[in-house]
Amino acid sequence: MSIERGKINSQQLLFLIAGFVQGSILLIDFTVGITEHQTWMVILAGLAISAPVILSYVALAKRFPGMNLVQINDMVYGRFLGKAVSMYYIFFFVMTLSFNIRDVGELYVTFLMQDTPFIFFLVVFAATCAYAVTKGIEVLGRVSHLFVVTGLFVIISTFILLIDQMDFSNFLPLFELPFIRIFQGIHIVSIIPFGETVAFLMIMGRLNKTEHAVKRTFFGLSIGALSLLVVAVRNTAVLGRTQTIWTSPSFQSIRLINIGTVLTRMDFLIGIAQTVLIFFKCSLFLYVLVVAVSQLFGLKSYLPLVLPLAGIEVIVAATVFQSPVDHAMITQNAGIIYSVPLVFIFPPLSLLIAKIRGLPKFERGKET
Amino acid sequence: MIKKITSSIMIFILCFFMLFALTGCLGAREINDLEIVIGMGVDKDEDTGNILLTAQVVKKDTAGRTSGDASGGGDGKAFWNVSSTGDSIFDAVRQVTHKTGNRLFISHNQAVIFGNDIAQEGLQEYIDFFLRAHEMRPTALILVAEDRASDILDAKPETEKFPAMNIAKLVDTYGFTSHFYEVNMKDFASCLMSPTTAPLVPLVSIVQEKDCMDIYVSGMVAFKKGKMIGKLNHDEVRGLLWVLGKVKSGVLIVPSPDEQGKAVLEIVRVKSKVTPEIKDGSIVMHIKIKEESSLSEQTTAENLATDKAFEKIQEATAEVIRQEIMAAIDKSRELNADIFGFGEMLHKKYSSKWKTLKDNWDEIYPTIELDIDVETKIIKTDLLKKPVSQSEEEK
Repeated sequence: MSIERGKINSQQLLFLIAGFVQGSILLIDFTVGITEHQTWMVILAGLAISAPVILSYVALAKRFPGMNLVQINDMVYGRFLGKAVSMYYIFFFVMTLSFNIRDVGELYVTFLMQDTPFIFFLVVFAATCAYAVTKGIEVLGRVSHLFVVTGLFVIISTFILLIDQMDFSNFLPLFELPFIRIFQGIHIVSIIPFGETVAFLMIMGRLNKTEHAVKRTFFGLSIGALSLLVVAVRNTAVLGRTQTIWTSPSFQSIRLINIGTVLTRMDFLIGIAQTVLIFFKCSLFLYVLVVAVSQLFGLKSYLPLVLPLAGIEVIVAATVFQSPVDHAMITQNAGIIYSVPLVFIFPPLSLLIAKIRGLPKFERGKET
Repeated sequence: MIKKITSSIMIFILCFFMLFALTGCLGAREINDLEIVIGMGVDKDEDTGNILLTAQVVKKDTAGRTSGDASGGGDGKAFWNVSSTGDSIFDAVRQVTHKTGNRLFISHNQAVIFGNDIAQEGLQEYIDFFLRAHEMRPTALILVAEDRASDILDAKPETEKFPAMNIAKLVDTYGFTSHFYEVNMKDFASCLMSPTTAPLVPLVSIVQEKDCMDIYVSGMVAFKKGKMIGKLNHDEVRGLLWVLGKVKSGVLIVPSPDEQGKAVLEIVRVKSKVTPEIKDGSIVMHIKIKEESSLSEQTTAENLATDKAFEKIQEATAEVIRQEIMAAIDKSRELNADIFGFGEMLHKKYSSKWKTLKDNWDEIYPTIELDIDVETKIIKTDLLKKPVSQSEEEK
């Protein structure tokens, strides 16, 4: 018996992944400080590196139809080791989700509503995500294309509105930075927007048909990567050298929009887009976390855990970091290290072990 | 059943929190409580050496009236220049509250004017606040006053109500002459971050004419390492803008072919391309300019709208442009400041050689050679095809 009865089709998976990656748009700011004007190529390189790994997730999900990550781990690594690996994943989900919730809070407190207490945004935001999660993955899947379209609309419209201020010579010289910085940048990009899609191993089991899954996953990933690329190109072309000093280059470049002194102060655009997209990403993450924990403890339904876990996430988000500086430091340096095994090692390894051991041997759906 | 109860609890909690979100009371600032700042001036306090900040605040009750019936109250000024001193800009911004009774609202700030003494000391340490403050827009203009910024903000313009708005308008219309250009906070910060490029900032001065004071933009000042080092006049700035391809329009005066009068041309379109080249260790900048203009005025009886005359005028125009460029280059060599951004251009093309060039840039810059190629073209003669003169035989 699975704890989720809802089904999604592969079309919805495409938009879920695209929206999920788009949700990290503000997070490329972590990379910009390191890779400056070469961010665009770092994004492409990150995509090239993580795409095969992400496609291996699909292969894994196809091999274990109807199962989620925790069930797969149990089956591949045995009951105890499998539980340990799942715990590691749950730790990753808890941390990543709290980072993202914190991002929303920081966005609002820094740019939109300075006087409102930080914790207020976290609570309201987490409550909204929790509400979405109680509706189940089917509902999220059905609305996913709306989120992606909203994101694309904002990204493309801001790009067009800023075209007159773009200076494409800002991308020159093409190769300048020392390789170690590019490497760190690629590492960050391949983990933060792309590698986090490992969470979809909890969702892919709900696919009704898996035949187009590989193609659709790749396509969704490409839409997400393209959005990131457009944003990175826009920021570099508009801000040039200064893009490294702003707290949020995206916000700053949109504040520069000035069309005939009429179309100005478009800050709300990114406020809307960011809230909507990060909401989508956090809802997915919360869903994944809740399902993973309930699966680990063998619950019949994940609903009782939604609110408690959302509450825990708020507390983690509010207390783990002292300041945005701390947040950026930890994400840039520590966060990308502990996620490497989860993103790049375990899923392909599981696939390999499953192939060698000829798994799954049991009839599907018997595991708890 | 449980699901139903959970969801109703969820909805209840959501509604409860929305109550807080929807009131909008937290951090609310009503319009009559705002001190809307439209311009700021930063000077050095002569006595204490502290910062003297002048903020131009809109007077809400007078601002709405038309300028005719300003007789209603006070001196009829629609603005209030409130000043305060402090150890830093932000300190001074907060000290203003002793006088205004409310904190300044700087979202609508049009321009920040730095006094001459501050500019000479270096803007690096003063600009941080204007980039960091969340209410400040990166599109706010940056200017330097010839003397004191507070005087500039005091000079009441004739048609505009607010000096700061007037200054923003003056800078905004630079396109008609291309004698200076608009520099906003982001542009200035970008130049400050460059190791070689010397930022330029428009310079505003006051002229006393009979009983009224007029403000005008008298050129631009160049900065090096954040400190003001010299002034460029109108022609020198246009020389710079030719190279950068930023000339929007403007007037060029050349002697007419018969040398009896002048031909006055209006610049219509300009394209420029600068290609750096390192040849045998010496740096050459190939500057190629394509200019199109219209014949807007002539002060001679000779018909200038002929192919022959056009050719001569075009040659003369190219010479005038070349002279303006040379004036700018001479000035920049004299100041040894890379106002053109040649350093950045080299950096973009020769990134490996740049590392060695960068360190000795001050010695290298004056030795850069230039290869200027100007191509001009007259594309129209506006409403006349012949001058107003007694008809003579066509030559």
